[in-house]
Amino acid sequence: MHRYDERALWLARNVLPHEPALRAWLSRRPVDGLDIDDIVQETYARLSTTQSVEEIRNPRTYLITTARSVILSHIRHARVVPMHSMTQLEAMDFVSDEPDPETVAADRDELRKLAEAIAQLPPRTREVFVLRRVKAMSQREVAQELGVAESTIEKQMSKGFRRLADILGRGGKAEAGASREATEGNAGTYAQRDKPGD
Amino acid sequence: MPGLMHRETSQEIDAVAADWAARIDRGALSPADEGELDAWIAGDARRLGAFMRMRAVALQSNSARALGPDFDPEAFAQAEPPAATPITRRRLFWLGGSAVAASALGAIGLGLMMRDTVYETKLGEMRVVTLEDGSAVTLNTASRIRVAFADARRTVTLEEGEALFDVAKDPARPFIVEAGGTSVRAVGTSFSVKRLSDAPVEVLVREGIVEVAQPATPRPVRMTANMRIVTSHAVAQPVAIAPTEVDREIAWRSGRIAFEGEPLAQAAAAFGRYSDTRIIIEDPGIGREEITGLFASNDPVTFARAAAASLELKAVIGPGEVRLSR
Repeated sequence: MHRYDERALWLARNVLPHEPALRAWLSRRPVDGLDIDDIVQETYARLSTTQSVEEIRNPRTYLITTARSVILSHIRHARVVPMHSMTQLEAMDFVSDEPDPETVAADRDELRKLAEAIAQLPPRTREVFVLRRVKAMSQREVAQELGVAESTIEKQMSKGFRRLADILGRGGKAEAGASREATEGNAGTYAQRDKPGD
Repeated sequence: MPGLMHRETSQEIDAVAADWAARIDRGALSPADEGELDAWIAGDARRLGAFMRMRAVALQSNSARALGPDFDPEAFAQAEPPAATPITRRRLFWLGGSAVAASALGAIGLGLMMRDTVYETKLGEMRVVTLEDGSAVTLNTASRIRVAFADARRTVTLEEGEALFDVAKDPARPFIVEAGGTSVRAVGTSFSVKRLSDAPVEVLVREGIVEVAQPATPRPVRMTANMRIVTSHAVAQPVAIAPTEVDREIAWRSGRIAFEGEPLAQAAAAFGRYSDTRIIIEDPGIGREEITGLFASNDPVTFARAAAASLELKAVIGPGEVRLSR
């Protein structure tokens, strides 16, 4: 259990399922110079440092409110505020955001979504991922089973997480990296990449 | 944000964040690695968020264990254009399976005798079963259900263990879970039922409404989301609980057990449901110490070590057991 994992698990249960809704909300309110992916990352960062999440009754609303405050602080800190950012800012007034029936049903579907997301992983990543996650083998055991180095398994898991984040966070098929994956997938060996911090 | 000279892209950050999440997935980080992680996170406001998001994905994907050892990703692949789909042996086999299911449905329609279907899990196992009406049942460790669907009602008997029911809506055909004299009736909702040999039956509602009938009470009691009932008392009443507690209670779905201030003895016993390794507490005084945290349900040794570290105990690991003492 990593020291950050208790909050990460809260994010997994309460925020990740609403990320597609957040992205949809953000894409309806574009702000010059602000990228949706940047806002999403910063929103997760804020939710990670919020003192207590126990009292949050409606995570979806809280998520959108947090994203909005990320945007506002960027607009306020920009040295030159573009004219129409100000109008966008006014337009950003928070409209009550009722959870739609789709969101309510989403939770019930989360396991099926996960299964579909795993199905979309590139073949080698998927093979590793199924052994590690579905069969609950350790990374070391997976390495032994497949006869490859443990670091190779770690790289495949990294790739898998990034891909799943894309799929689950965008509420459907992977977008980013789809073409990159297509070329890597034909390489014939497990793709190698630098370790974190190297 | 606008007007900065060079800026790392969010994709670059995601790549490093995923590497860290995978490194942690491999095993505990060394103190040096932890320091390196903190230094990296401190470099940009977005990095912590990207890292936490990747850890969230890593933890969320633990629920994949519930897909069971027979999980076949091919069955979940998005439909491809028919012309481009070669007919593989696996696909033929799958078609065969659904043909059998179709004839079974036909048998119900004709009112023929249908045998009940039994699903069960072994110690430490977990699986998701999709029923013919589209409802999903997640079985926790060492659990058994018997499914008997009829035209007027859908009956599932929880013979042992614990299960989470995600019920497909069908007002004409109520979904009823029987568990040792307690019967839980739902139309379309999500709730869990626990029936362990040495404890009263417990029902927990995640969403929707259920009605719980107990032998001791004349009228069923109604329960809504975030309520729990323990049917030990003569007339048990449901109690409202926090949504976070509901999440904690069904943490088993992602292969985890959550504790919040439970006595160590109770926490240690909870691991007994998931594996043969016993956690033995040598002194009752230690057993009363409180424990909080989230642990892998199939890893009693790591739990015992963590408990020992936080309560300043000694953990001696032997074959099939861990002993905790002062």
